[in-house]
Parts: sequence; C-alpha cells; structure tokens
Amino acid sequence: MTFQAIYTLTDLRVLLRETAPSHDLDPGQKAQAQRLLENLERQVGSLKQEMLK
Amino acid sequence: MKCGNGIEARQVDELCINIDPIQAGGRLTADAMKAVVAYGDGYSVCDNCRKPNRLDYISKPPIAEFHKDVAAWLNMDAVRTVPGARRGFQAVAQTYVNKGDPVLLTSLSHYTEFLAVEEAGGIAREIPANDQKLVTPDAAAAKIEEVKREFGRAPVLAFIDHVDYQFGNMHDVAGIAKVAHQYDIPVAYNGAYTVGILPVDGKAMGVDFVVGSGHKSMAAPAPSGILAATAERGKEVFRTTAIVGDVTQRKFGIKEPEMMGCTLMGATLVGMMASFPHVKERVKHFDRELANHKIVMDALLSIKGTACLSEYPRKHTMTRINTIESFDKVAETHKKRGYYLSSALEERGITGVIPGATKVWKFNTYGTTTKQAEHLARSFVEIAKENGLSVTE
Repeated sequence: MTFQAIYTLTDLRVLLRETAPSHDLDPGQKAQAQRLLENLERQVGSLKQEMLK
Repeated sequence: MKCGNGIEARQVDELCINIDPIQAGGRLTADAMKAVVAYGDGYSVCDNCRKPNRLDYISKPPIAEFHKDVAAWLNMDAVRTVPGARRGFQAVAQTYVNKGDPVLLTSLSHYTEFLAVEEAGGIAREIPANDQKLVTPDAAAAKIEEVKREFGRAPVLAFIDHVDYQFGNMHDVAGIAKVAHQYDIPVAYNGAYTVGILPVDGKAMGVDFVVGSGHKSMAAPAPSGILAATAERGKEVFRTTAIVGDVTQRKFGIKEPEMMGCTLMGATLVGMMASFPHVKERVKHFDRELANHKIVMDALLSIKGTACLSEYPRKHTMTRINTIESFDKVAETHKKRGYYLSSALEERGITGVIPGATKVWKFNTYGTTTKQAEHLARSFVEIAKENGLSVTE
C-alpha cells in the first residue's frame, strides 16, 4: 500500500515534468491527474485503516 | 523542502524545461523512479544471488535477462553493466593498452577516454576533425599511417565517438572502423550520446565494443552504463579471474577483473532496467525529437547574428550555438551583463543554459514535448526582441 501511494505520486510527478513550466493540463492530462489523485486518496485511506486500527 | 540534512529536494525538471546538454537523456522514466524507491538499499539486487554468484547471473530481479536483451538490442554478443561509460572505456583500455602503446582517439573525444588511456600507460594520438568538425575515415587512415611512422607499429586500440560531446556531430563510425580493422585495431564505439537515444547496431557498424551511458542517455540514475562486446572481444575484456591467494589458496570463481567483480548492485541497475522498455521504444522515434529540436533551432537562427556551430541540418538534439553577434551584444551593455540571458530564460521556466553564457553554449532538447519546444522557441525570440535584437519573421 505504501508503494502504491508513492508510485501514484510518482506518476503525478512525471505529469508535472511533462507539462512544465506552465502546468497547463490539456483535457486528457486533467483526466489522468484526477484519476491519479482519486487513487491516491483511496490509497491513503487504506493506509489509515491499516496503520491506525 | 528538504530530503535530508541540508539536502534540498531537487525539483528542476518539475518546475522548468531543462535543456542542459548532458542531462536531457538521463531523466528518469516513471518506472525508473519507482524502481529506485524500491531498490534504494545498498545491495538490494542481491537477495536472490545464487551460485555462480555474479551480478549478470541473477534472475530475480531479471538481471540476467536484461543483459541478454541489451546485447540483442545493440546487436552485440555480450554485455556488462558498468558505473558509467568511463568505466567501460577503462575496462577496454586496461585490456589492450600497455605502457608506451599508441592509442587512437579523435580531436573531439571525451576526456574520460584520454584518462582511460593514460591510466593504462598508453599514448594518445588524435584523428583531427575537419573544418566541418567531422572525423572522417580518410583522416583516420592518415593518422594511423602517421602513428606507424612515429611508433613503428599501428595503434593498439581506437576510441571513436559516434556523436561527440562538443558539437553533437555524427561521425562515420562504420567507415572509420573499416579502416581501423585493416590494421587489426579493435574499435571501441563511444555511444554516450547515442545508446538509448537513437538506434545503434554494433555489428552493422563493425565495431568491437559499444559503450553506453545510463545516466546520460538511458534514463537511468548515475553512475550507470553498459559495455557490450563481440563474442571474440568479450572473451578478452570479460575474462575471468585466475588469481590465487598464497596462504589461503582462495580463488574467486567467475568474477571478472575488469569489472572488479560485480558492478551495479542496487538502485542504479534496477533504474536502468526499469527504463529499458521505454528506452527501446523511444529510440524508434528519434525523428520526433529532431522535429522538436528543429522548432527551437529555427527560432534561434531567426535571431540575427546567431549561428549554429554544429553540423546543420541537425542529426542530434544536442547543439552548440554561437550567439556572439546576438545575445552577447546585449550583454555588453545590460545591467545584468551576461547573466541576463539565463535570468530571462529562468523567468520563463527554462533552465540548463550555463548562467552568464552568451557567447558559445550548448543545449539539448531531447525529451521535450512539442508544446515545450514551442515554448522554448517563443521564449528565445521574445528575449531577443525585448533586448532590441533583429528577428527574421
């Protein structure tokens, strides 16, 4: 779960690289960012459940 | 944000378009970043090292398979990973060069090739580049004859850069190798700017060794690289140890002296391995990289007084440019002097041009998107216009 969250952040990092310096995301990139951020929220939620139970 | 005591988290490529000439091809892929996170611990790839206990035999992670794949990809017979291309040069020089031996280099060779020759006790003899800054087979033949007259024998080894670091020019390695082989000189191909950037076929070029840089051109962490050899030369450079301890009678199995045993034992290797599928794919699309480079070159050359010092049209994305009669004229009177250019670029989210450089400088657009190339082109023209330089529309 830790790796999944880090890897999702890594994908976001690469998206930032591909769109530097303005970070104006086109519709496809926005959809990708949204999907990644939603995954990240889920992964963080699972981590909370696992580690703080 | 810090990632350690006094170590600032590096965000250069997240915040800016980075056109540093040596950094462009070494930017990690997402998979390499992920692999580095998982394999950052010291000897991390050694969990499943079994007899005969050598890095290139490990099958989990698939290091053995990676070695075979890289050899096939380069159309060579054997590959080892090395801590940077320079360690590949060193292994080859240590194998073939003895004290006082002449070694063929070129007037555009990278300094690490010279150091490899020096360490082995060799004597450097350079094939001069012509007026177009190209090293030709004819010049190689003439230099070999010159060396024969001077030393009474031909050079024992030749290091030839396919694309040189000074101009990013592409040299006729196949032609030079053909000439060298007429004198039985083994040829080491320096692919620091080509392996991982554009297609490389070692056998088609007729070279004995292919050396590549992981951190310069294979989207891998530093220090990493590859040394590939033909079957015949592989037996020589990758020979196994024969040493025996006199007290313990110890021997060291199939370890290879030129590799100093195992080479890349952790994050560097898995980083290179994780990027490899992407690297194999990207070399097929080098035309796209050249198209993006042309967008930037056209913009720079539209600025009156700017000249391309590299061969033109460009065959590589790393280029040396002369702006003595354009951006440097502005520097003479600008309050920031020569720093105005890098400063103006930084304001536009562009980095990688040496601060203060306005005369002769290099840049590399490898890996930029078309949108980023257009931003670069627009920025150079804007900066020129803002500072009163003439631009051809």
